[in-house]
Amino acid sequence: MEELVLELKKQIIEVLNLEDVQPEDIENDAPLFGSGLGLDSIDALELIVMMEKNYGIKIKDPSAGKEIFKSINSMAEFVQANRKK
Amino acid sequence: MTTKQWVKITPQRMELNGEPLATTAQGTALLTEIYRTRINDYPKFFKMDELCKLGFIASELLLQADGDRHQDSEDRAVILFNRSSSVTNDRKYQDTIQRPDDYFPSPALFVYTLPNIVTGEIAIRNGYYGETSFYVLDAYDEATIRATVEASFLDGTTQSAIFGWLDCEDADHFEASVYLIEK
Amino acid sequence: MIRRIADNIYSPLGLTTADNYASVRQGRSRLRRYEGAMGLPNPFTASLFDWDQMERLDGYTRFETIAIQSARQALAQTTIDPASPRVLFVLSTTKGNVELLDAQAESFPEDRVHLGTAARMVSAYFGNPNQPLVVSNACISGLSAQIIAMRLIESGACDTAVVIGADVQSHFIISGFQSLMALSPMECRPFDIERVGLNLGEAAATIIYDKVDQIGTDEWQAVSGAVRNDAHHISNPSRTGEGSYRAIRAAMGDMPGERLAFVNVHGTSTLYNDEMEAVAVNRAGLKDVPVNSLKGYYGHTMGAAGVLETILSMQAVDDGCILGTRGFEELGVSKAVRVSAQNAQTDKRAFLKLLSGFGGCNAAMLFEKGGER
Repeated sequence: MEELVLELKKQIIEVLNLEDVQPEDIENDAPLFGSGLGLDSIDALELIVMMEKNYGIKIKDPSAGKEIFKSINSMAEFVQANRKK
Repeated sequence: MTTKQWVKITPQRMELNGEPLATTAQGTALLTEIYRTRINDYPKFFKMDELCKLGFIASELLLQADGDRHQDSEDRAVILFNRSSSVTNDRKYQDTIQRPDDYFPSPALFVYTLPNIVTGEIAIRNGYYGETSFYVLDAYDEATIRATVEASFLDGTTQSAIFGWLDCEDADHFEASVYLIEK
Repeated sequence: MIRRIADNIYSPLGLTTADNYASVRQGRSRLRRYEGAMGLPNPFTASLFDWDQMERLDGYTRFETIAIQSARQALAQTTIDPASPRVLFVLSTTKGNVELLDAQAESFPEDRVHLGTAARMVSAYFGNPNQPLVVSNACISGLSAQIIAMRLIESGACDTAVVIGADVQSHFIISGFQSLMALSPMECRPFDIERVGLNLGEAAATIIYDKVDQIGTDEWQAVSGAVRNDAHHISNPSRTGEGSYRAIRAAMGDMPGERLAFVNVHGTSTLYNDEMEAVAVNRAGLKDVPVNSLKGYYGHTMGAAGVLETILSMQAVDDGCILGTRGFEELGVSKAVRVSAQNAQTDKRAFLKLLSGFGGCNAAMLFEKGGER
């Protein structure tokens, strides 16, 4: 799980162009949206693409993303449970 | 119409009011260098496409030189022109949809496949509620640009404008010639 | 005073303004569900030309063809010499020939991807010597173009402006909106409680303006226009309708809301746009003015929308009609706005047209028939 958490942090930094952020800066339980990393709706849509590209998981409903992408931990749990790659 | 500030950016150099700025990098690295050394407080910069980065930096240099951002105003227009529209970023987006077996259209790239987005980025940064417009020309033409900008000042509201040529043909060929003018 | 001389709508619903208005008045649309079209893996609903049946101009792209065909018809209703240097072509388009970026695209010289080059193909067809002005201001381009045309005529830069709005749909555009999850799988429902997204469309529309000292009783005047930015987000509209509200206020000036037959809004049927416009219309004190959206007949025609929807609104007022909002059933926005699915009657002679677009831009234009009464 720890490997997946680190992997996700690196992918998010790359995919969302978070230039000044290091994996160590992202707390596993911290909210990704709103405050925290200050991600917005376009970032959420990019994360949906990332899920399909890297893990083969298709998220059809954009509002489902709110719960899934709440934090790194929720993302990791979701990937663990649903990954096809 | 008074020209208050003027900036020129090419892949090799940057000039503010005719004076060259000390830089070492070239190409898009030059844009990053200027951002890091003179701005560096807007992480969204790294999400922008090249055209937006170019326009954002040009506007920041103009406004820094002018001293007062004139924030939260409705009487400052942002009117930009180019020949290439958003083609550099369009090609990047096309690449995400070109192959049926590697088909992952990118929403972050797609939102930048319109040239006027750079006017929006400048408006967001500064709280400009005034007119934002983007025009595409077959070739750079000062007369057309002048006539269009002057006509825009007939709206009864606009008192100043950030306007000029902002073109990004590809990552190695870009040009900004942007002015801050006042009525 | 800026006067409309002639117009044309060239769309899947008809190739003349009259045919288009007749179809819309009868509640018809060409919105259809497409599966596997244009190499797109996911289905979508859109209003598209039947390209197999369309007359194509040899050596011109799809985009250039419909722009030329539309302008040709509009010009034919006038005595204007389009080759005159005092005539300016203004083109409103978001993506022009973007489909040429596809490796499998029709073979055209590479520079036709450039909007200015494509626009010159259009203006040169009519022998016009001036460089055409392309307005690429996202979805508000069709009003932006009319507004700058107004100002260029007022300033004396030209005497006549041929404003053409056009866009064609493509793999590029449709896939992009799908990636934003902005599309509705079914026909769109502007302002409705069940709305989920927009439909895409393609069309060309032309409106020709000149300047006169006095407006005739049956002539349309472009009274005023304004473009304002939300200064909020590059793709989401401002929750307070900031830019739209300011554009309405600037365009309306002293005109009382009661003089308006209706406000024809952008009304794309996305959750956020329609909510934002309801807020803006209320903030501007226009909640008692009938509001309608035409996206249920054509989908969102991008660069053509501002011109096409203006022309239809003029036709409607000429006909004493407020066109119903096709697809609407039950109001689903937080502020009360007077939207109806049915056509209604009016004897008023002015309307306000609104649009909003990516980049946070918003436009409003006020039109009046026959001058002040």
